[in-house]
Amino acid sequence: MKCVIGGTHLRVFGRAVHAMARVSDEFCFDPIDKGLALRSVNSSRSAYAYVFFSSMFFQHYCCTAAPQPCQKERQLSLACKLIIKSVLPIFRCVNMLERHVEKCNIYTNAKDHHITFQLLCRNGIVKTHNLAFQECDPLQAVFAKHLCPNVLRAHSRLLADIMVHFPTSQEEVTLSVTPTRVCFKSYTEENTDFPKTMVTEIQLNPDEFDFFQVGVDSEVTFCLRELRGLLAFSEATSVSVSIHFDTPGKPVAFSIEDVVLEASFILATLSDSRSEMASQEPACFSQMQESSKTCTDKSIDKDGGAEAAASKKPRWNRQAQNTVSGAPASPLAKQVRSVPTVSYRDTAGTGGTAATKADDRAVLEAESPYHKFHSLFFGAVSFKEDATSHTFHSLATASDTEEDFGKTQSSQVL
Amino acid sequence: MRFRAKIVDLACLNHFSRVINTIAKLAKTCTLRLTVNKLYFILSDRVANGGVSMWCELCQGNFFDEFQMEGVAADHNEIYLELMPENLSRALKTAQNAKAVKIKLTNKHSPCLKVAVELPSLSSSSRIVTHDIPVRVIPRRLWNDFREPVVPDFDVSIYLPVLKTMKSIVERMKNLSNYIVIEANLSGEMNLKIETDVVSVTTHFKDLGNPPWASEDGCQSSAQGRDLQSMAEVRIDIKKLQQLLVGQQVNPTKALCTGLVP
Repeated sequence: MKCVIGGTHLRVFGRAVHAMARVSDEFCFDPIDKGLALRSVNSSRSAYAYVFFSSMFFQHYCCTAAPQPCQKERQLSLACKLIIKSVLPIFRCVNMLERHVEKCNIYTNAKDHHITFQLLCRNGIVKTHNLAFQECDPLQAVFAKHLCPNVLRAHSRLLADIMVHFPTSQEEVTLSVTPTRVCFKSYTEENTDFPKTMVTEIQLNPDEFDFFQVGVDSEVTFCLRELRGLLAFSEATSVSVSIHFDTPGKPVAFSIEDVVLEASFILATLSDSRSEMASQEPACFSQMQESSKTCTDKSIDKDGGAEAAASKKPRWNRQAQNTVSGAPASPLAKQVRSVPTVSYRDTAGTGGTAATKADDRAVLEAESPYHKFHSLFFGAVSFKEDATSHTFHSLATASDTEEDFGKTQSSQVL
Repeated sequence: MRFRAKIVDLACLNHFSRVINTIAKLAKTCTLRLTVNKLYFILSDRVANGGVSMWCELCQGNFFDEFQMEGVAADHNEIYLELMPENLSRALKTAQNAKAVKIKLTNKHSPCLKVAVELPSLSSSSRIVTHDIPVRVIPRRLWNDFREPVVPDFDVSIYLPVLKTMKSIVERMKNLSNYIVIEANLSGEMNLKIETDVVSVTTHFKDLGNPPWASEDGCQSSAQGRDLQSMAEVRIDIKKLQQLLVGQQVNPTKALCTGLVP
């Protein structure tokens, strides 16, 4: 993979890296045909960040590696997993980047597992950074934005103006909407009689938004800290931010879309602890069924960029993680965590190896058919006697259906 | 017990915010005393072990367009609240171009000072940002702890030099020593001294002026009849002095320093 980023776009790229840094300690550099994707998932799998730069963003972009003598055809570049701490210093002072750096070359050497960032600065100075990477199977969250009943769109400036009222230490924020009112409120887990922390609430009129659609009155609580990265990034691009969400418990997606780039941050939301587990089971199964069909449809229509269509229902409840101490929960949690390593993306010749790289437990899941795989996610939930302890579900999952395994599916990459 | 107040003027809001910011830098929690005409921010740390005590008196008419207060009882028409000034400072920080700021004492689940900021927006109705600051109501039996400190008998009283200058000097001295000696006399001269094993540094100030103090009961204070040139010196913890100077965001017309030599 080789690409060249021109001076003016460096700031945007740097902000993207900073946004990734908010989500996790590592991120995945995923070059595909149409452009470069950056992906990151946080350790508790409750936040997924995805930024895609189309080839037009770069002065030069090429994602195929030179063919090796033993191979007959050119190989697509593999995804690289990088530690954020190594990459961040390269793009540290984003505002200075534009002024001092004329170009940035990025190229990978698949043999040595090295990626090189070369900054060509003013006055003939060249800064070269060589980093080792690990091959990785990129994780992809599957989330059906078009199925969300609530959609808000606003300029990034508006969102930044709203978030500035919350202290930087504020972890979680609740967005509550009705057709006539929008409210952002700081969320605190304290429900004692004497709260110690300040609670901030911002009420807005729906006409402040460029687009406002509320299908169902809802209150979703998500992590603000992870979102701030996207907000800073979107300010650099000055593109509108769209918010897609549904009822509590279902993820919320913050996304921006431009001619040359696309970004999505999908965050898990706190589930409504009053809602019954049982009533949610059939819903999620049917959604799985229906969207696995749309998954293949959508992937044919739209290659690169967009998310797959299967909807996800991660249940994110920190309290559950604290209270669940018994044995049954932890193996499941461990299984869930290892599952993402199973998600694979078929690249020529490497599809087979992906499964063997996975964890022992995860391999079991990989062998089972797609439906069963998901039922492992949700089936375990239905077997749980304790309805109130919500197990945590990973956002990321295998993106390809069983039927497609084995085919070259570069166009299905999402 | 009721309290409602409203600020509409931006300059007043700005000034009030800066006073709050100064207080927030000095103390983590402090007491807010509300009377019919005044607000007081009081901090009374244990002065015995070198603590800082603070008394700030604000005339409500200078800041608020509306101010209504009903105290705990008819004969004790005051309210004492304990709060974290940092919260109040943060609430006012983003209100710098507000149309109005309303402060109200509420007790929905627990006592709170509710600060509602009305911000201009592009749409027809304004944006409203509400901050609920948790407070604790201080019972009447503890009110005696918060009496106004009396300016003690002193030997010398002097006007301070420009606080910014003093702050930068003290900041540099802080790196060299833990204690600073302030000495001043009644001729408007003041010295800031630090002395360690390896170095001693003194900064001299002249022509500062001494405030006139009318002795209230006619009897001579120890400052009277004092030789104008002789210096009175006190030794204080330099960190505490620096904390006081760093927090100053309000530009005072006059700052006084009075010292009593034990």
